Amino acid sequence: MLLTLLILIPALAALLMSVLPERLLRPVALAGAAVTFGLSAWLLSQLDLQQAGLQFPEFTPWLPPLGLNYSLGVDGLSLPLIVLGTFLTLLVIFNGEKSSPRLFYGLVLVANAGIIGALAAQNLLLFVLFYEVELVPFYLLILMWGGQRRERAAVKFLIYTAISGILILAAFLAMGWLTHAPSFDYGDLQLAALAPTTQAILLALLVIGFGIKIPLVPLHSWLPDAYVEASTPTAILLGGILAKLGTYGLVRFAVGLFPETWGSFASVLAIVAAASILYGALAAIAQKDIKRMVAYSSIGHMGYVLLALAAHTHLSMVGAIAQMISHGLILALLFYLVGIIETKVGTRELDVLNGLLNPLRGLPTTSALLILGGMASAGIPGLVGFVAEFLVFQGSYAIFPIPTLLAVFGTGLTAVYFVILLNRTCFGRLDNATAYYPRVLWPEKLPALVLTLLILVLGVQPTWLVRWSETISQKLVAAIPTTTEIVASIAPSLSSTHN
Amino acid sequence: MVQALERPSSAKLPPVDHPLADIIHRLEAGGAMIPDTPENLMKIIGMYKAYSIPMDFYWRDLLYLGERVFIDPFPFFKYFPTKDYFDLLNHYAGDTADLRIWRGPAHAHPELMEFIEKGETGKLPRLLHHLWHDRINMEFSEDLARAMMWHRMGGQLDVYLDSDEYKAAAHKAIRAYFKRNPLMLALHKLFPDLFLEQARQATYMNVLGLFWEVMAPVFFEISDRYDEGSIRSVKDAMNFLVNGIFAIAGRPIYHHVYIDDEVHVLVPKEKGFMWLYEAAFPYVEAVFYRTAPFRGTKSYNAQANQVPSEQVDFHYGILFADKFPVGTAGIPPTLLHQDMYHFLPQYLRDHFHQHCRGEDDILVQLGIAFQRSMYTVTSAVLQATRAAFYYPLDDPNPEHLMANRRFFIAQMDRFIRPQYGIVDACKIRNVQDPNYR
Repeated sequence: MLLTLLILIPALAALLMSVLPERLLRPVALAGAAVTFGLSAWLLSQLDLQQAGLQFPEFTPWLPPLGLNYSLGVDGLSLPLIVLGTFLTLLVIFNGEKSSPRLFYGLVLVANAGIIGALAAQNLLLFVLFYEVELVPFYLLILMWGGQRRERAAVKFLIYTAISGILILAAFLAMGWLTHAPSFDYGDLQLAALAPTTQAILLALLVIGFGIKIPLVPLHSWLPDAYVEASTPTAILLGGILAKLGTYGLVRFAVGLFPETWGSFASVLAIVAAASILYGALAAIAQKDIKRMVAYSSIGHMGYVLLALAAHTHLSMVGAIAQMISHGLILALLFYLVGIIETKVGTRELDVLNGLLNPLRGLPTTSALLILGGMASAGIPGLVGFVAEFLVFQGSYAIFPIPTLLAVFGTGLTAVYFVILLNRTCFGRLDNATAYYPRVLWPEKLPALVLTLLILVLGVQPTWLVRWSETISQKLVAAIPTTTEIVASIAPSLSSTHN
Repeated sequence: MVQALERPSSAKLPPVDHPLADIIHRLEAGGAMIPDTPENLMKIIGMYKAYSIPMDFYWRDLLYLGERVFIDPFPFFKYFPTKDYFDLLNHYAGDTADLRIWRGPAHAHPELMEFIEKGETGKLPRLLHHLWHDRINMEFSEDLARAMMWHRMGGQLDVYLDSDEYKAAAHKAIRAYFKRNPLMLALHKLFPDLFLEQARQATYMNVLGLFWEVMAPVFFEISDRYDEGSIRSVKDAMNFLVNGIFAIAGRPIYHHVYIDDEVHVLVPKEKGFMWLYEAAFPYVEAVFYRTAPFRGTKSYNAQANQVPSEQVDFHYGILFADKFPVGTAGIPPTLLHQDMYHFLPQYLRDHFHQHCRGEDDILVQLGIAFQRSMYTVTSAVLQATRAAFYYPLDDPNPEHLMANRRFFIAQMDRFIRPQYGIVDACKIRNVQDPNYR
């Protein structure tokens, strides 16, 4: 019932938005988001870290002939992401929205409910339902509060993610029908019996479907437009949590349901991951718009998750999940700070911005936090980005040394583009002819300070980041045969063919 | 942005073709380099008031440095002038004045004494105020004196400092100063130029102290007159300064050093060095236009090819200084801004609070207002120079008016030099705009 409550609270708050007077909109939305976050955090504190299976399960038959059941549950993979999602939603609502607040808060809360539902769903059709539910609010959030080219960006986002949904739905339906499972419940699907080719096709559908959502190169072209054109709160939710649904889907449904096939395709996925990392970093270096730069950096950083999943060692799995959380926090901070700069200075152009670190006329706190965010993103020790990336590299190197080295090189490139960004934006001489920026007020600084605090705390105390996912990672890795095992399993058939 | 200007009724010259033509026309009409608006007037007078009280400390401590600290190799307490120097009677204020410019008292200004005692932090031992920088920052005025010396400003005085007469007097004073210190005497014997240069520096400290002893009461008085309503325009303020400059022009410039109850005369009054030529003009040239690169800045700007290879080309003075404390050049203005901040008149504080970031960036607003006020002082010096060396503004002879114009054009040309980014660094165009804060 607790998980249902977690979905219902933001959904009910969203409903209230349509009837409440305007002065109550923000307090009620804030209360709804705060309660949701508080409940999710409490659930996280109650999570049994020794148990690899689902916790807080809920099951209600819904449409048994279709195999659709209201089946919920969480584990060390999904619950940290739920907490991340509810936390970012709380920050976004705290930040507020002056233009059409009724609709804005409503859509953000619906999206939050959808994301929680998708992360908690243990029935594949239920997952697709929630997965599609959050599509509409995000489309409207980009369309209504976006930049000048928001219409194009929103449509592009809609088309790409709709295709993603269709591919995933097709894969799920095929799984159910081909295995003659009694329902689409996660535990009912016995996919090992399927032919390897069929498994490979289904896995490919899932990888492409979720790959669009992450996104992976070359399925990424919706991302720069959507992230850049979206308003700051929408960009935070898009990059901070929505993209994580893609990586979550890969872990839960691709790795979890096709462990053997996943192991067979791991090399290809590692190459895709390395390509994503390098492409994201190089594209970011070429940008002149700091928001677009951060957007491209996101492509690179999600590549680390795929690399770790491809390596599928215990350490890399823990690293992949840590990277999801870490990237969510860092990207949210960077987008938030870029949003402040854009609001106060009126531009995101690297060639125009200068000297923002100036203590009297610039945006000194914002700039200082931007430097810290850039350091975290570049994986500087002591910050959460380092913890996640180090685990990814350490866990992946033994399996895929060359892609891992390329990823390490990509981290170096991350430092390059952040140095470019920080050097041009924060340092140099502020021109008094243009430096009439309004000051950044404390309520505006608060979300950034909270995010920074988390980045710092989790950086120096990484146990609080990785402890939740250790058991589930162990379980996932145990199900995937290693490369040696795969070679050993196909060796007899190969030798008989030669004879 | 430049205001439309009145032309002098006696003008017999066609409009000038110059990038700063409007300013030249304004100077020809007897005006200043900044537009004559009530807001500009309020700012420049308010800044004079805020500047004059730290200046009252500067000149007293500079005389203390020149006369008492002299060449002390470890001058740990050089910013702690003795009580005598606070009680020193200003020659241009009070009942004992040689020429009474300010109607107030001759000893140190009461607001200054109150600040020295309490500062921002409250009543504490002076050393703690000093270490906490809750004090008047003398470093600023020392830099100014060094800038005058670095640029070898000082008319005939600069030449005199290289004379055998000065060297002999200085060596005698140095030996007297170190008579109980054989180590320093030996050092002086080995490197005779070492302490001689320090003595010259002490002389410049003294010169600047004598300059500001005049300017402090001038600024006190101009502020009082503004409060009373008798100064009503920028032109009034500038004319007051011009009159003040001429009234004091002949004040002797000298340097006396007091060592063990003995007076050592390094620069005698009898030499006839005059305040206008040895202090006022050199000060404006060195401080407003050129200054010296302060430590840590030169290399920074050299990397950006902004540092002239010739010393004479170094133009980073108050009129050019970057008001932001990051990557700034020239005299460090933030120290002065901090000093002036403590003594802002309420009307100016209220004005700053209504603009930009209010209290948060008040030092920048203050710096820009200070730049405007120094443009007015520079204007006064230009008009005084014109009056001294050229012709009246209402001279009926067009040739004479043309000579005046050539002088003003030559002065304005200094602000449009393309070398080293001076044309962009110079804020003369900015200060024409009332919205430049």
